Amino acid sequence: MTSKGGAAPSTYTPAPPPTYKAQRPPFFTDSDADWTRSDGRGFHQCRSAFFRTGAVNSAAGSAYAEFGNTKVIVSVFGPRESKKAMMYSDKGRLNCNVSYTTFATTVHGQGSDNKEFSTMLHKALEGAVMLETFPKTTVDVFALVLESGGSDLPVVISCASLALADAGIMMYDLVAGVSVSCLGRNLIIDPILEEESFQDGSLMITCMPSHYEVTQLTITGEWSTANLNEAMQLCLDACSKLAKIMRSCLEEAASASKD
Amino acid sequence: MVGLSLGEKHFIQGGIDQNLRSDGRKRDAYRPISIETGVIPQANGSARIRIGATEVIASVKAELGRPNALQPDKGKVAIFVDCSPVAEPMFEGRGGEELSTELSVALQRCLMGGKSGAGAGIDLSSLIVAEGKICWDLYIDGLVISSDGNLLDALGAAIKAALSNTGIPRVQVAAGASGDEQPEVDISDEEFLQFDTSGVPVIVTLTKVGRHYIVDATSEEESQMSSAVSVSISRKGHICGLSKRGSAGLDPSVISDMISVARHISEQLINKLDSEISAAEADEDEM
Repeated sequence: MTSKGGAAPSTYTPAPPPTYKAQRPPFFTDSDADWTRSDGRGFHQCRSAFFRTGAVNSAAGSAYAEFGNTKVIVSVFGPRESKKAMMYSDKGRLNCNVSYTTFATTVHGQGSDNKEFSTMLHKALEGAVMLETFPKTTVDVFALVLESGGSDLPVVISCASLALADAGIMMYDLVAGVSVSCLGRNLIIDPILEEESFQDGSLMITCMPSHYEVTQLTITGEWSTANLNEAMQLCLDACSKLAKIMRSCLEEAASASKD
Repeated sequence: MVGLSLGEKHFIQGGIDQNLRSDGRKRDAYRPISIETGVIPQANGSARIRIGATEVIASVKAELGRPNALQPDKGKVAIFVDCSPVAEPMFEGRGGEELSTELSVALQRCLMGGKSGAGAGIDLSSLIVAEGKICWDLYIDGLVISSDGNLLDALGAAIKAALSNTGIPRVQVAAGASGDEQPEVDISDEEFLQFDTSGVPVIVTLTKVGRHYIVDATSEEESQMSSAVSVSISRKGHICGLSKRGSAGLDPSVISDMISVARHISEQLINKLDSEISAAEADEDEM
């Protein structure tokens, strides 16, 4: 905030959002196929994913994920004793929290729906974690979105499952999350922020690819059955590919620590 | 929440396996639904709905406000759900907060459509009075009075009934206000515009117990669920929103199957609700 007064033009808010309006029409013309995504990807092509475990030293486990401009860091603490006020439980508890840095979005401090994201993260993970392996205790999963570049929640979920694995928390499988946006007649996988801002509908799947089980699924907007099935299949395929990348990241980290 | 003995649990699960539930219903049968509209005189529209022992009230209040700068041609809708401790002692203080937010978010997802407004049950552009200056803000409040499972479906139905009961006053905008000035408005207290609710979807929750899924689960049945999928479906049979509860994962093919079952059930539910709502409106007119 100290540099506020002397903000050089290069540090000023980048391309203002109003330009989206001007871009919108191409989706509805007949030449849908001519339109290319602003980052040059095909409609069914995900951003290249980058994962690294061990981002935070003091945490039991942590991971950093970068999908294009979406940058997320997740740390896992625990298991620790559950708070005294909590009732006895023969299963472990997950305590999930998602927060945005104040500079994550183009508008200062706009990272909204945190609470919703936190519950969604919890729901996506609870089916995959073997909660019965740490009774009476709580595992904290804290996610911080450093930069919001679209598809934040799926990235947070994938990154969190990697951090849990890094912390040595037992899970049935890694959880990979992918979202698809519906724009006009097109299905666009792994949407970036500007694509998300004018989407007609969105679908997010988090799944355990080796189990072929969906842990969480949300749909907004209007969908026909054919579109829905296609989108679900797209997501599931992308999830299994994503999980391979996550797995190789874990293997890399394990072999590095052995040496 | 619900304390059940092992025997009771087996009884419920066994009943669902044999397509005969504890209260004599089949897996795809609803409890009796009754609707009353216009129950809150201070609101622009309201409805009370009872599904078995579950009872909820929805009210719609309309206030004039300023549209969002990013969407000058659209009104605003806010949905809140309150779980009163009247329904269950657990809801006291902040106890009901988690459930309240979960329900509000699910309702928002089911009723408000995508970011661009496609698939929304409520047409936001119909709420605009003067573009960029004045719009209607709709406050939709749900209140849980008695809770015996299937709250989301009940709230969805109550909101649908409350919206069809809603009359929004006609507003005259005084011409002549120029530039950034806020124009003067004249709110009519005689002329009301009916709200178009044909696009408001219904919500069908399928609760998975064992290998089967049931509609309209009671809270006892809900305590035995592995997961539940709530699908909101429009009259045209399109999916307008979906959310999943419960920790257990689901096979993708099961989800597709659940969606098609939900669509089939929604057809009957929409007709049932429509006839109940129009009966309730007729009752209200007679009074």
